Amino acid sequence: MRKFLAILVCKLGRAVGRLVGKGSSLPGKYALKICPDILRRVQLPAHIIAVTGSNGKTSTVEMIAAILRSGGKTVVYNEEGSNQIEGVTTTVLTNATLGGRVKADVLLIESDERYAARSFQYFHPTEFVITNLYRDQLTRNGHPEWVYDAILPAIHPDTKLILNADDPLSSCFAQNHENVKWFGLNPCSITGDKPTGVYRDGAYCPLCYAPMEYDYVHYNHIGAYRCTKCGHAKPATDYTVTAADLDQGRLTIDGAVTIQLAFRSIYNVYNILAAYAACREVGIAADTAAGVINNYILKNGRMQKFTLGAHKGVLLTSKHENSIAYDTNLRYIAASKEPCTVLVIVDAVSRKYFTSETSWLWDIDFDLLNTPQVGRVILSGRYCNDLALRFSFTGIPREKLLVQPDIAAAAETLKAEGSEQVYVVTCFSDRDKLLAHVVKEA
Amino acid sequence: MELKIVHFYPDLMNLYGSYANVAVLKRYLEELGSTVTVEAVVPGEAADLSGADFLFMGAGTERRQKAALADFVRYAEDVKALAKDGTPMLFAGTAMELLGKTITAADGTVCEGIGLGSFTSVQGRQRFVEDVYGATDLYGEAVVGFMNKCSIIEGVETPLLTALDMGFGNSGEKTPEGFRFQNVLASELTGPILVKNPRLLEHVVRAIYARRGQALPEELPRWPYAEEGYAITEEQLKLRWQKAQR
Repeated sequence: MRKFLAILVCKLGRAVGRLVGKGSSLPGKYALKICPDILRRVQLPAHIIAVTGSNGKTSTVEMIAAILRSGGKTVVYNEEGSNQIEGVTTTVLTNATLGGRVKADVLLIESDERYAARSFQYFHPTEFVITNLYRDQLTRNGHPEWVYDAILPAIHPDTKLILNADDPLSSCFAQNHENVKWFGLNPCSITGDKPTGVYRDGAYCPLCYAPMEYDYVHYNHIGAYRCTKCGHAKPATDYTVTAADLDQGRLTIDGAVTIQLAFRSIYNVYNILAAYAACREVGIAADTAAGVINNYILKNGRMQKFTLGAHKGVLLTSKHENSIAYDTNLRYIAASKEPCTVLVIVDAVSRKYFTSETSWLWDIDFDLLNTPQVGRVILSGRYCNDLALRFSFTGIPREKLLVQPDIAAAAETLKAEGSEQVYVVTCFSDRDKLLAHVVKEA
Repeated sequence: MELKIVHFYPDLMNLYGSYANVAVLKRYLEELGSTVTVEAVVPGEAADLSGADFLFMGAGTERRQKAALADFVRYAEDVKALAKDGTPMLFAGTAMELLGKTITAADGTVCEGIGLGSFTSVQGRQRFVEDVYGATDLYGEAVVGFMNKCSIIEGVETPLLTALDMGFGNSGEKTPEGFRFQNVLASELTGPILVKNPRLLEHVVRAIYARRGQALPEELPRWPYAEEGYAITEEQLKLRWQKAQR
């Protein structure tokens, strides 16, 4: 009876929520109040794919859903991004019959990395993709090892783990776990020989803290690591990008499947590979997967093209408090062949909570912007002074820097003159403050 | 003047932009006309603390902190002797805990600190993460920063922040924070603390110069971005605190 009531309340709540444009976690919250173990009592699909990690969750999940659907499978997933237990509950119950049967071939869940253990105490994923573990939102996450410890109890012995072989930390989830599939990249066009970035999170082994050595690195500390003491090292991969050329925007998976990239970022390569691996593991054919991800344009709007006066612009959504996400976007800008201006905005550190914490600015490798094509860097928003201080510790010539606290004024400055390419680097919390002043491209 | 900064375990104790404390200090000293060398201490490798003008260690994860401690005990007597001799130091984040008597990990394992202070740290499964706004005896302005730790620290008699209006201190909400012994400063605050608090940076510089018997010039370097950044954060945190009062 409680189960029925919980499902009913959730469905009604969701319907009302949709009408008034409210978020998707509240109905699940009520359902959990009525029936705390409702997720154990429902009948779930044969395949439950979960995706967690610091970066790439949303994009990976979106691509997995697209591939599965193209492969003829029905998929239920928390598309609106409510990725804690309440949101997962809403997704599951909204898509269940009143008897509690979820009508789909696959339940696909983007899971918050810190709360995965809460969601998966009542059921467990059949396939669990962990994209990576980096410094991310440390004001709520503490540090990557803290998050590692939080995810660990979410892993059921029967779950098949799909892990990133190139990440020295999240690869540790394979310790004492039988069922693991690995994805990773062979050396490619962007590969270097040693870790890059401001800090060295891969300098020491996450298992024994002895120094680690690298055969090659794709970005930051992601690549082929080898502990000098305990043997923790990049494992052989089951799904492999065997060739990738980011300049050409092309990659090859397992020596056979060629994919054209709509967005030529190393992140996109990893997300595609993770999605490919997950879908192959649930029986999707290589051709089907390749057909979907070839030239796949993400719908989650992390990249927005626009015009501002005579400028063409691209806004690269970079999560504040996530230095590797920033580094990746800065590297993307640095690869630009044309002269450009870069606008960096830090106004509200988070859209969800207040903080004045700006230590993460010191973790970002802003020196990546120290290239001849980057003619000007405009720093804007409430924390523009913190940004300016940080930039004064880069090699970027002072005369290239312009500090403009007011975002509208920064947009006006750009609009008034010049026609060079503009890149905007900022977070969800601040992006609309700029997008209000530009003409967005569809 | 030639000055020597010793930076303990820069690749191990490196969370929350810790290194920036050293970066801003080095530049400030250079703008005063000094030549500054920064010597990194690497676990397992020999290091020379003699003639050090400033010692620094930054924040690390709880596991990395134990790895750092396993090496740091080699320097325990040297560090304590330098501290008693008035050498300025900063132990930021979890590095602070190494100065105490013991560190108890979340699983109950107890490690001995170097015992410069008589305090104890007990780590748990809950994390205290929040903005901090407080006062110090060192100067009149507020100290700002961010707390990100999982430890309860008891037994500090001489805290760096003597009172908190907002945030988690050594042993609870609004308790004093950090540790101070002569010119040794320790705090779990990030920001990083010397970047976020220009007056604290100036205090450290004064201590370094005073110990070498050198007078500071009347005109000190001016860093408008640091000053303005501090002013904005201070204002934001004060507003937040006042709102909570109502």
